[in-house]
Amino acid sequence: MAAYLLCLTTGGGVPLFSRTKGEIKTLPFAVIGTLNGVHMFASTHNIELLATQTKDAKIAWKVCHGSITLILVTRDDGGSDACLRHLLAAVFDAMVLLVGLDDLINIKNVERLKRELKCCYKLIDCLLDQCNSQVFGDLTGAVDVVLGQENTLLQGALEGFVEYADSTYGCLLVRGKVAVATKKWWGLTGMELVLISLLVSTLPPGSSRDIPVFLPQGSPTVPHRLCTLQLTAGVEACVLCGPAPSLARLSDELARYWRPPYESVRSLAQLHPRNFSHHLRIDPNILGFVLVNTEAHRCLCSVQPRHEDSRREGSNLSYTRRRAILRSFYKHTIGHVYAPPRLKDDPNLGPTDDISERLLHRPQETYMLFDAYKCYSLQTAVYRLFVLYGAQIPHYALRSVTRKTLEILTKDKQVRL
Amino acid sequence: MFSSVSYQTGCQETHASKSGLNLMKFGEMLIQPGTLLQYDWYKSWEGRESLLSILHRNMHHRKLFGLLEEPLLPVQFSSSDVQYKIFVSGRSGVGKTSALAKLSGNEVPTMHSETPGIQTQVVYWPAKLVQTNKIVMFRLHFWDAGDAALKKFDHILPACKENADAVVFHFSFTDRGSFEDLPRHMARIVSPSDNTCKLVLGTKYDQLAHSDVTHQELREFEQQYKIPVLKIANIANYEQSELQTEVHEVAPVLNTLCEYLWRRDQVAAGVLQTERQTDEQRHSDEDQMVLYF
Repeated sequence: MAAYLLCLTTGGGVPLFSRTKGEIKTLPFAVIGTLNGVHMFASTHNIELLATQTKDAKIAWKVCHGSITLILVTRDDGGSDACLRHLLAAVFDAMVLLVGLDDLINIKNVERLKRELKCCYKLIDCLLDQCNSQVFGDLTGAVDVVLGQENTLLQGALEGFVEYADSTYGCLLVRGKVAVATKKWWGLTGMELVLISLLVSTLPPGSSRDIPVFLPQGSPTVPHRLCTLQLTAGVEACVLCGPAPSLARLSDELARYWRPPYESVRSLAQLHPRNFSHHLRIDPNILGFVLVNTEAHRCLCSVQPRHEDSRREGSNLSYTRRRAILRSFYKHTIGHVYAPPRLKDDPNLGPTDDISERLLHRPQETYMLFDAYKCYSLQTAVYRLFVLYGAQIPHYALRSVTRKTLEILTKDKQVRL
Repeated sequence: MFSSVSYQTGCQETHASKSGLNLMKFGEMLIQPGTLLQYDWYKSWEGRESLLSILHRNMHHRKLFGLLEEPLLPVQFSSSDVQYKIFVSGRSGVGKTSALAKLSGNEVPTMHSETPGIQTQVVYWPAKLVQTNKIVMFRLHFWDAGDAALKKFDHILPACKENADAVVFHFSFTDRGSFEDLPRHMARIVSPSDNTCKLVLGTKYDQLAHSDVTHQELREFEQQYKIPVLKIANIANYEQSELQTEVHEVAPVLNTLCEYLWRRDQVAAGVLQTERQTDEQRHSDEDQMVLYF
């Protein structure tokens, strides 16, 4: 997705930073000024300008806490406004996560804020650079998970380790996807869960980390320490703790809790990139899927659901392409057919062009058919499932196979989303 | 232990008399490379066998070890393990994180990004001692912290400095300011009297054409502060034709670092003497001679 993101101070219109994604020229300063000027002009007349559309692009504005203006310009990919709003909210929360709300609301020194915001660039770029992302959490607002089998053992180790860290918040991440987490960790908001996982996966690989973070909803002004410790390649134990214990002490005690379940940790690492346990078998026509639990804010995605390489089965869609199709299908469905997930800090945005708001009923299922592939989606009270099929599956089978897949993925006693 | 304490007071007096930050000797002394460790050992048969424990089977890339894991040397080599904590320090944007990625065998990031807190990395390096012919597996735990985070949060600097065995100060060959700022930067982070190894690492050595710092200046710096200056190129080497290219590149830096750390241990254990101790010895000998005559 080619996109520009501009961040300015609302008070003075001073540019704080701008990010560009895709092969496009940087925006001239005059254009940035105009984009901000249009918005300011509207607000002086008590009108809030939210979004507009050109022939091939969409522009959205967002003012956060009366101090930061975000302007997003993207190529029109047919996605709904809900997705754009969600992206802008995620960008601001990413800034809060690493800089803290106080420094964003009370801007005393613009130059200093600019310097501090530098550490958010990678996370924000990752949010903008959607198609290359291995996860779907940024889009769904629900954190990516891996479904392993030996979770009881790992849960026990995690609880012990988190308790040692004098905390109640902790999780085990497999390449940015949550495998097990404490109850309190699941109590974080969907956006917080997504951003923390994304932050850990965007940082350069390392043995351990100690990063001050502000929880955008839970604790936007008081920083906590996010400590991550790498157990084996791709698997990291994360805790959210206070001033003590130090990172050095956590690393020293690591073996005591994690040595016993080491083999389970290793086998957990093997689940990537399939992301769910091998004993769950789904239809061979499925090339990929995204399953979202809207209540628990968890999502499971896989574009390599078959143990063996399914590209041999006649489908020539690359894994990157599969992800791109699923993303696009999701964006076309959310807002246009299904109601978008509610954003906490966005209570009222007035009428939008989202078709879902004008529908009199709540659609349960939707599909799209193409020459090379087929997409089918269904939603229940809790789950939303988006499935990508190869072209060879007959139309009439789509519904029943999708329903059966949902059953397989959600009804297993050992592993549950 | 006692001797080192008394020696420190002596050292401070000398500073007072000479006065001025610029004349401070931060380091202990320079070691002729190869005095304690065999620098080319890793190219020998035995060295290559040992390197296998930290390399992937294709010999091009290094294995990355989680905190629960460690390399296993071939059983027939008797070896001992030592571990050190190394604080990576330097101005924002000089390439600390990239240099660390290079040293650890990780992918070197293509774009600069500010590290939001502390980021640590364990690097294993086997080396052979000159004196005893013993193989030692060095476990180097590097602690890297983003400059903005260091300034904003109070707990980060103490966490990095706590129990650190060495501090590696970074400057960039393409940024003269970062080189000129070194003495002041060092004075902020460490004092000459604390017992850490101090080394300087010049990053972005690949961009020699844009270099703002001359070799002459580096030599002068080394002599003045008694701190060795190492160099590293912050790019991934794509020529993988020669065996173990990546390891060849970082070997001089890791060997030097290990040699200085090993020497510090030997001094602490009383096996070796520092240059100043030797100086003092000589002076006291001279004093005695004066008394005799």
